[in-house]
Amino acid sequence: MITFKLNGKTVQGEEGQYILQVAEKLGVEIPTLCHHKALEPAGMCRLCTVELFDGRRTRYVTACNYPIWEGMEVTTDSEGVHQGRKLIVEMLLARCPDVPILQEMAKKYGIDRQRFEQENDTCILCGLCVRTCEKMGTHAISLTGRGVDMKVDTPFHVQTDACIACGACATVCPTGHITLEKIKSHHTRLEAKSIPSEYDMGLKGRKPVYVPYAQAVPNTPAIDRTKCVHFKTGGCKICTEFCGVDAIDHKMKDEIVELNVGSIILAPGFEAFDPSAFDSYNYTKHENVITSMEMERILSASGPTEGHLVRPSDHSEPKKVAWFQCVGSRDLNRCDNSYCSSVCCMYAIKEAVIAKEHAGDDLDCAIFYMDMRTHGKDFERFYDNAREKQGVRFLRSRVHTIDPVGESGDLSVRYITEEGELKSETFNMIVLSVGLQTSAQTAKLAERLGLELTDGNFCKTGTFDPVATSKEGIYVCGAFQGPKDIPQSVIDASAAAAAAGEILSPARNTETKTPEIIPETNVTNERPRVGVFVCRCGINIAGVVDVPSVAEYAKTLPYVEYTSDNLYSCSQDTQETMSQIIKQKNLNRVVVAACTPKTHEPLFQETLINAGLNKYLFEMANIRNQDSWVHKNNPDLATKKAKDLVRMAVSKVTLMEPLKEAELEVNQTAMVIGGGISGMAAAKSLANQGYETHIIERNAQLGGQALQLYRTASGEDIQKKLADLIKAVKKHKNIHVHLDTTIDNVEGFVGNFDTTLSTKGQQETLAHGVAVLATGASAFNPDEYRYGDDPRILTSLELDRKLIDKDPSLKKANTAVFIQCVGSREPERPYCSRVCCTHSIDNALHLKKLNPQLNVFILYRDIRTYGEREYLYKKARETGVIFIRYSRDHKPEVILKDGQILIKTKDHVLGKILEIETDLLTLATAIIPNRDEKLANFFKVPLNDDGFFVERHAKLGPSEFATDGVFLCGLAHYPKPIDESIAQGRAAASRAITLLAQKVIHTSGNVAETEQSDCSQCGVCISICPYSAPFFAEEGPFAGKAQINPVLCKGCGLCVASCRSGAIHLKGFDNNQIFEQIFALNEAV
Amino acid sequence: MKIQSVEDLEKISHEYRQRLYHPDAIKVNVGMASCGIAAGAQAAFEKARKAFPAGSGIQICQTGCIGFCEEEPLVEVLGYGKPRVVYKQITAKKITEAIQGYSDGEFNKKWILGQMKDPRSHFEDDIENPLADVEPLAGIPFIEDIPFYSKQLKIALRNCGYIDPDCIEEYIAKRGYQAFLQALQEMDPKDIVSVVNASGLRGRGGGGFPTGIKWATCAKQDGERYIICNADEGDPGAYMDRSILEGDPHSVLEGMLIAGWAVGSRQGFIYVRNEYPLAVKRLITAIKQAEKYGLVGKKIAGSNFSFQIKISTGAGAFVCGESTALMASLEGNVGRPRAKYIHTVEKGFRDRPSNLNNVETYANVPAILLKGAKWFASMGTDHSKGTKVFSLVGKIKNTGLVEVPMGISLRDIVFDVGGGVPKKKKFKAVQTGGPSGGCIPEMFLDLPVDYQKLTEVGSIMGSGGMIVMDQDTCMVDVARYFLEFLKEESCGQCNPCREGIKQMLAILNKICAGQGKKGDIELLEELGTMIQKFSLCGLGTSAPNPVLTTILYFRDEYEAHIKDKKCSAGVCKPLFHYEIDPEACTGCQVCARRCPQEAITGKKKATHVLDQEKCIKCGICYDGCKFDAIVVR
Repeated sequence: MITFKLNGKTVQGEEGQYILQVAEKLGVEIPTLCHHKALEPAGMCRLCTVELFDGRRTRYVTACNYPIWEGMEVTTDSEGVHQGRKLIVEMLLARCPDVPILQEMAKKYGIDRQRFEQENDTCILCGLCVRTCEKMGTHAISLTGRGVDMKVDTPFHVQTDACIACGACATVCPTGHITLEKIKSHHTRLEAKSIPSEYDMGLKGRKPVYVPYAQAVPNTPAIDRTKCVHFKTGGCKICTEFCGVDAIDHKMKDEIVELNVGSIILAPGFEAFDPSAFDSYNYTKHENVITSMEMERILSASGPTEGHLVRPSDHSEPKKVAWFQCVGSRDLNRCDNSYCSSVCCMYAIKEAVIAKEHAGDDLDCAIFYMDMRTHGKDFERFYDNAREKQGVRFLRSRVHTIDPVGESGDLSVRYITEEGELKSETFNMIVLSVGLQTSAQTAKLAERLGLELTDGNFCKTGTFDPVATSKEGIYVCGAFQGPKDIPQSVIDASAAAAAAGEILSPARNTETKTPEIIPETNVTNERPRVGVFVCRCGINIAGVVDVPSVAEYAKTLPYVEYTSDNLYSCSQDTQETMSQIIKQKNLNRVVVAACTPKTHEPLFQETLINAGLNKYLFEMANIRNQDSWVHKNNPDLATKKAKDLVRMAVSKVTLMEPLKEAELEVNQTAMVIGGGISGMAAAKSLANQGYETHIIERNAQLGGQALQLYRTASGEDIQKKLADLIKAVKKHKNIHVHLDTTIDNVEGFVGNFDTTLSTKGQQETLAHGVAVLATGASAFNPDEYRYGDDPRILTSLELDRKLIDKDPSLKKANTAVFIQCVGSREPERPYCSRVCCTHSIDNALHLKKLNPQLNVFILYRDIRTYGEREYLYKKARETGVIFIRYSRDHKPEVILKDGQILIKTKDHVLGKILEIETDLLTLATAIIPNRDEKLANFFKVPLNDDGFFVERHAKLGPSEFATDGVFLCGLAHYPKPIDESIAQGRAAASRAITLLAQKVIHTSGNVAETEQSDCSQCGVCISICPYSAPFFAEEGPFAGKAQINPVLCKGCGLCVASCRSGAIHLKGFDNNQIFEQIFALNEAV
Repeated sequence: MKIQSVEDLEKISHEYRQRLYHPDAIKVNVGMASCGIAAGAQAAFEKARKAFPAGSGIQICQTGCIGFCEEEPLVEVLGYGKPRVVYKQITAKKITEAIQGYSDGEFNKKWILGQMKDPRSHFEDDIENPLADVEPLAGIPFIEDIPFYSKQLKIALRNCGYIDPDCIEEYIAKRGYQAFLQALQEMDPKDIVSVVNASGLRGRGGGGFPTGIKWATCAKQDGERYIICNADEGDPGAYMDRSILEGDPHSVLEGMLIAGWAVGSRQGFIYVRNEYPLAVKRLITAIKQAEKYGLVGKKIAGSNFSFQIKISTGAGAFVCGESTALMASLEGNVGRPRAKYIHTVEKGFRDRPSNLNNVETYANVPAILLKGAKWFASMGTDHSKGTKVFSLVGKIKNTGLVEVPMGISLRDIVFDVGGGVPKKKKFKAVQTGGPSGGCIPEMFLDLPVDYQKLTEVGSIMGSGGMIVMDQDTCMVDVARYFLEFLKEESCGQCNPCREGIKQMLAILNKICAGQGKKGDIELLEELGTMIQKFSLCGLGTSAPNPVLTTILYFRDEYEAHIKDKKCSAGVCKPLFHYEIDPEACTGCQVCARRCPQEAITGKKKATHVLDQEKCIKCGICYDGCKFDAIVVR
């Protein structure tokens, strides 16, 4: 250790360190233009010059390369130093007047006029590029020439093979003098390209050391060996010098890890179709033809333009954007993907709407499509809204060619309208809605595993076991099973987990480790001893906020006993150090000034627990997201704000008290309400995993709607399969079936429900820990198309029944007509029933099979045979089924005349009214929810406008409710075919088991509590609480006063805010704590 | 033959002393350093050789610089029992006649610069004056009495002009290598360092760092270390080192050998600029000869001490005189300096401890060992001991190399040794220390030459350049000239030096062009001060000296340039014009005849008229007018 004086203060540094290194560590700012942490200091810019008193005289030395020695005295910003630096900046600015970094510095030094002759250079000859190049091991460039003729160049100014176009020079150049383009023309013949970011679809570059994307798990950077210069030249290794914890090891080798597992779940996902092969779309030739994936990045706030909608060619804001649907889907002419990719229609609408949100209403968005397939939950509503309210144009036409318009960057499109008119329109930018496909790599994996694939190269699964592959124990989920959207993928994922859980059930808990429990120190009545840890977050915070000064400041706050700053507070070693310090310094309150509690609070609470402190004696100050990130251009103010935030956190934390978390035992029994396909699937899965399960079915028979269905789209006999399932359920030792049973009452909460059942007038109360709602839906009873007026006018289910019964009349018919969307996609029912298109086409094919001479017409609005169901549609057309489109404004007319059924509809191709005489009219009726409000109330779960249950999260929580312990599946969630119902049944079981698997659960300590003596018994809290946590005490000294069940309380604070007598406190967010924070900010009076 | 002892040296010495001082026939020493050759010595030498071939009884020899460069080519002639005479300005045309005349006893006295009283150096007091018995020539001054020589004291230049640089034996005859052999065989390296230290010898290259301390530091280091000789003399107009290398290369080799033994090095390098081809040639010869005698090489004189000397030729960058730049260049890298916060004696060439001294320093070392530290320290001032070689140039009568004791006044050098300013012009300033030295005005002429004193008045000792300026020198232009040089020679690495010199020069150019404006002087001072403090190496930190000292001492000239737009010295063309003083003009028509523009007209004996429109201010009339009738206005 070397002790010396820095600006009058006695400081210490290590032998061999330079002044700048020590100063930097202590937060003393010294300007520099030629310094780079990873490079040998050169002392070229001279801006870091400081004054050194060696005991005899004062000298000027450069801080970057002057080694410290015992007893020296350094002044970093004396008048002389300041004047000199100012003059250097002034001279450099004269040399390079347009370089931003110099303009900034000039501003800082108050240089407002130029006294020197102006030049027009951009290079300040800092030599960083040269030293970097040297470090890279390439030595391609150097400082050539002497004096004023010095410049950065290759030897003899020729392009050299020594340059590997790594671009390091351009990266390190502080002025922008060296650019990647210049490297190519000046230094080498090689193209210096930034590495295209895979995540940003090549619209942005990435580094060889990179985190693939912000949410990557694990969120640690990796080194791309194919791009890293070290692996090419043996040089560089700059990253190791930046890594504060020595985590980088270039010698690391790939490891083959062998795991012994009981089951494999395949979730390899999909790859987006690459439209480069379509020369007609000009994708590769024209920058402004992009794929929808690229559009996603452009619209994303984390994307290359931070969500600013600009087109790639010239970064101008487009005024007209078109989307082309079915690029790489439903196409056998140009690619082999004849299936529908399921998700493109919806994402195109979403992109159009978001584009309008970002760019403003005058952005013209047009979507060219064949059939609009918005068959997901709430999708149709979104489509209607986009079309009617947002003004997104939908043009039913398949465009074949995109032609560039001169040099403008615009693109011209010719298309034929529905009326048959040829039109041409110019757009500024075109988005190709590319389809989903299985990658060659995934196909290879499947081959290696010996899995059967479908015609579309997806993993083959059965309707009744939708996540099982052809190999036992190997399951599949997500888009490898078939093109699908997020909610369905998440459902699949849970289902696959359940499937694996079922076969691995005996091994449950055999590999778990129990952490050691550290006894909690009692801190009651202790004077607060606060420890403040200020995090640098690498440069995330320290790059803006003067972290050491914040830590220093925290020392001055009342009750603060200890402060320090950490490079990364969340790193493993820092965590350990922190708990050591807490113990050593006897701290009883902790503040971490770092990032967001949303992601890191549990981690630091863990640290407290490890130090034997109650985890609620903790407070975070978010000096990153709320400070350094948002005020990066204002470091002084950001530092001030960080101090404010720390002061507020300290003032709050001193008032923190240890909180107890309520612990409750979980009843290990499950209840499934509804004995249909999904309910049975859920029950079977729960039971298979060892949990006692009750199925409550109001009918006398299990099976639900499936009892009405004939065959699945893939040709399986539903009745046979259903019978098997019912048999298995009934036989299962863990399943108790309650038929003819309804629910009278539900009490309790997660882990401890008490449900009163009524079976044929007999009541029974069942205790259970979780509930799965699988209450199903029904078929719509049509009120149009003369339904009921003629026995030959049927609903789809009625046709199925005839098919099941092998009704001979079906063979005799000459003509059959199907009318789609009966009751669906109507103003009063603005959703798509999802299954009807497939169902009708399938039935049409059955009829055709029974009687190949039969004329079949399907009158439709949009055919929605999503995924590989598209093959049926194709087959139907090939078989001669005639598809006639109608619009909601011009519905077909059914006329019963002379015992004939006549259907009048306008043919969209011929543009003429057709009259079809038919023997069989099938109405594809809607699926309507049961709208069981009573049940919804029992379990405190919501229904949507359509009457379906509202899941916790449309995408991430599709099979569970926001209410803890309650799950859902099947048609009660949304119309869906059997495979999806079964998948969701298992998904619900899977989610339920996450709770059941725990013997006890802890609720949060941040719950509301009533001061019962202050309670006025008004009941507002009881009525306002969305979780039914408050109740009136029935006995005891405070009978009649409100009390809060900490288990149900979510700590939302509604009751606290609405309690008129101020009797309710929210632990951890009490009034005095919040006020103290405000007072600490001097904002309150 | 490998020399093993001082006795071996003595043998050679004895034989060659004879030849040096008492030649059998007439011996002619032609001054064949670059200065002499430039003046025509080569042709003269060759002509003499032809005229007096071997066996003619007249021996034509070469020697180094005899010193009085103004009078080159200088030829010294001696004969047994005859006076030793130095002929001046002996071109090929005159040489045979001069020699023949000497031989015949007709001495062509007009051509004689002087005769010698005593040709011995200070280190030959063990022998008698070979001229003791010789009858001097009547009416011919003694060299030693000529003011140019009388105030000089030759230590570094002790053998220059006396011996044939290509003949090691002649060096040995002048007690060469004796100091080294004695040191090697009789002295502990530590004691050598002590002697050098006690002598007060300071680096003659410019920095003036005490040589003894440098050696001691280097000797303390571990492992392989290097002895480097800086022969990258780059100051314009300075050629002390060249003269030593050309005239007495062995003195440098001997100095390096002593240093090598003293600090424990096995390898020496001479970094010499390639623009000194003759010096390089003579060094190569010298090294070969020394190797032949076993004075350089392995196990020297039977000891365990081995020492190699290699020559590295530099491309002639001024900045390579800076130690770190020199070593970078020596390593084969671009000659650019680095920060010297870790000294080169600790980490220098190849990151090893390196002892770097310049030519003159090394040349002094054998002398110190021969005569002792006390003797050396007895000369000079408190801080500056011994002598210093100056290259006296500019507006001075006796240009040439002079070696004077430290502490002598500038006035003595300029007026006595140098003979003052020619053509009765007024002395204005003397610039010392090369391009980054300062200009010292008349008021400081009595300043003793001393490292400290020169620094106090804003200049430096430097390597010994000394440029005398007269009334016709514009001080602004002088500053501009030096900055122009430094702009080219700055390595360009650091901002203060590269950008600063450029900006200072831009300002000076404007001032000289009559576009100076108020505040320029202050801006120059501001820049100068910053460059001095903030630059990376010595080049930068001293670069502003010419500007700052001229501003300090000749601010009025700057002001006249800026405010009155006048250059009273008549140098900055846009700032003056010539006029004919009607009072002084005699109408001799010289100016009118010489004017290339025919701008001057006038009848004989009538006052002439100068047409300002036609005048290009070439100054021919001004220089040619004997009556001072052309005046600068």
